[in-house]
Amino acid sequence: MMGANASVLSARELCKDYGKGSALVHAVAGISLDVAAGESVAIVGPSGCGKSTLLYLLGGLERPSAGTICLAGRQLERLPETGLARLRRESVGFVFQAFHLVDELTAHENIELPALLAGSSPRGARRRAHELLEQVGLADRGSHLPSALSGGERQRVAIARALVDEPLVVLADEPTGNLDSGATTEVLRLFDQLHANGQTLVVVTHDERIAATADRLISMRDGAFVDETRLVGGSPRSLSAMVGLER
Amino acid sequence: MGRMLLVSRLVIGDVKRRPIQSALLLAVIVTTTTTLTLGLTLRHVAKSPFARTKAETRGPDFVVETQPKPGARVAPGRAFATLLRAPGVAASSGPFPLAFVRLTEPGVDVPVDAEGRTTTPSAVNRPLVTAGGWVRPGGAVIEQGLANTLGLHVGDRIGLHGHSFRVVGFALQTEQPLYPECTPGLAWVTPTDAARLATPANPLGYEVDLRLTDPYNDWRFSNSAALTTVSNEPAWATLTTQVWEGTRDEDYRVVKIDQKALFVGGWLLGLLAIASIAVAVGGRMAEQTRRVGLLKAVGATPRLVAVILLSENMALALAGAAVGIVAGWLIAPSFADPGSGLLGASPVSAPTAITIVEVALAAIAVAAAATIIPAARGARTSTIGALRDPVRPPRRRPRTIRLSAWLPVPLLLGLRLVARRPRRTVLSAASLATAVTMIVAGLTLRYQLDINQQTHNAAGLMQGSAIGGRVTHLVFLLGVVLVVLAATSAILTTWATVIDADRSTALARALGATPRQVTSALTTTQLLAGLVAACIGIPAGLVIYQLAGGDVGKANPPLWALLAVVPCTLAAVAALTSIPARLGANRSVADVLRSE
Repeated sequence: MMGANASVLSARELCKDYGKGSALVHAVAGISLDVAAGESVAIVGPSGCGKSTLLYLLGGLERPSAGTICLAGRQLERLPETGLARLRRESVGFVFQAFHLVDELTAHENIELPALLAGSSPRGARRRAHELLEQVGLADRGSHLPSALSGGERQRVAIARALVDEPLVVLADEPTGNLDSGATTEVLRLFDQLHANGQTLVVVTHDERIAATADRLISMRDGAFVDETRLVGGSPRSLSAMVGLER
Repeated sequence: MGRMLLVSRLVIGDVKRRPIQSALLLAVIVTTTTTLTLGLTLRHVAKSPFARTKAETRGPDFVVETQPKPGARVAPGRAFATLLRAPGVAASSGPFPLAFVRLTEPGVDVPVDAEGRTTTPSAVNRPLVTAGGWVRPGGAVIEQGLANTLGLHVGDRIGLHGHSFRVVGFALQTEQPLYPECTPGLAWVTPTDAARLATPANPLGYEVDLRLTDPYNDWRFSNSAALTTVSNEPAWATLTTQVWEGTRDEDYRVVKIDQKALFVGGWLLGLLAIASIAVAVGGRMAEQTRRVGLLKAVGATPRLVAVILLSENMALALAGAAVGIVAGWLIAPSFADPGSGLLGASPVSAPTAITIVEVALAAIAVAAAATIIPAARGARTSTIGALRDPVRPPRRRPRTIRLSAWLPVPLLLGLRLVARRPRRTVLSAASLATAVTMIVAGLTLRYQLDINQQTHNAAGLMQGSAIGGRVTHLVFLLGVVLVVLAATSAILTTWATVIDADRSTALARALGATPRQVTSALTTTQLLAGLVAACIGIPAGLVIYQLAGGDVGKANPPLWALLAVVPCTLAAVAALTSIPARLGANRSVADVLRSE
């Protein structure tokens, strides 16, 4: 585990319960975690083990029942909703399994949206969206609506959207869960590239290939971490080669 | 039987699961059916107060009033003898002496017939004293409508043709229409006082009151030989007759004005109700799509799905109609009082079976019309499609999206939400415009009545009388009903927008929009509709007022009062929609995104 001083994201004794009495469910049960700047962490585990809940807690989309979360030096559990929204805007980029693109906005407009919410000028947001579209290899698809894009393309747009405000950490929830193998490869390559550029990543996944690209692999079961493995000294390129991403 | 049980169970379960939306839909239906019941009930009670007053006062069926030529010598007993004994006359009273004078009191000068009466009760036309006592020397009894219009009290002093009299009482009658519907007004004095008020230039006239054997054929008596004989008397300068049906119709001019206001208001209410119910049902249906998918996945046929959806809204419509009928019945008596010059209406009888059926059918028809398309669409939706995505694809408006990028975040999100569902915004604007229209019409009416009352001439007194007050009362009530409906509709529309845009707004929050920005955006969707509504409603209110018989050009409310309607509308809309908007903005982002 990395030292707490170098962490951009850390959690201590994090718990999240749902229900009451006999219906009480411990979705996350006493998890502690530190994520260093530029580190890539993959969290794996069976369905319903609490992976997505943990990710939502780390991103301030849900409030913990107990424990603390520190992101960019700020305690999330103490922040009001407005403060959490600002923190998400400045420090977090989300990538969802279901893409969650706005149906009536083009790829370009979807990427612009977080920048506009953060107060960027329309011109600045447009320019940044254009750069990211090129970066994810969709420069010619910017004017297309999500319905006209393939699954892989939609997820690449979602990744570009997550990066538009240059977040400290990207939190990805099963980013390849809805993709076929070809699209998965495209997304894996993109994550590999992000990792190489020093982007901090926390990825919840079932996919062994995406897990293999991480610096650290954490296994989760029944709301708790059961195993943690550091992978090949955090060398993403060699890992990419291992899973056949390098050509 | 099993299927009925299943449908009932699903309907009850869904109503319990979403109590607020069910209550709002119920409120819309109750408001609409209450007004409908009120209109239909008033239609039946229109004639009873006059009949009751006529019976209590032994009111005449036929009244003959004469004024002799100046200097003419008349023996009243002989002059009317033929008429009193004429075929078709069942009973008679009079001739009573009449002095044609002017009533003066500070600031007032109105013509009045001072009728000479003794303390002996007459067989026909026996005025019913409602305050004070009956005539005595130097004491006058004033007809109730005249007293109310002039604001007189028992004990006041008045002048009749320069002679001072004390007001000793007020009384009801049906010998002539109520003041100010009929001028001159009417007062009763002793026969000696009446004689004292006559002058050679304006001699004493006479009145005869008749009860006919066939009052519904009074036109026959109007053409009778006996009346012709009396009218041929050369001493008369004028001879006028008044039949009871004419008096009744004049008295119910007020009720007719009410009915006109109810008619116009009823149409506005109908339109608003359809819009509100459509929004309410549409909002419920948008939430039902996933449920439709689940039902179909477990084996429900499209027909059963449609039956379940229809049953739910029909049940609410029937429950709303039942409450509305009772509420309308309870409110109706306050509208059945036809004015201060007649006895109050007899208690309004319970709505007839036809009224109940009419109201129930109207409620069911409106709810069915609003349900049928979404129900059919829901039933046709593919099971997988319904399970996967609960919403219709939104519209894309590239120009609006580009324009909104330059706006602050709440407006950016709000404008994009409006662009997603333009029809909903149009519907919302129409609902709000209807309410604003009625408010402006009411404001104009109130302003003109105030202006007229200040002028203190005959027309002004007439407008400022009980009639003006009653019409204002009715317009006010209709305005309140319309505002309640429009408010409910605005809340429903906002809630429908919240439901429809829950994924978009949750996503915006995940991407960094604050709850306040999202609340403001959801409120903005209604504020835009409110702005359009105010701009349409102000001129429409003036037009409706004119169509209902008002004189718009004569004395419009000041421009500032009309313009104030715009910020007031926006403030009301913002206040109303902020609650559902805040509820929507505070929904758990994780829950919404996870449900996909």
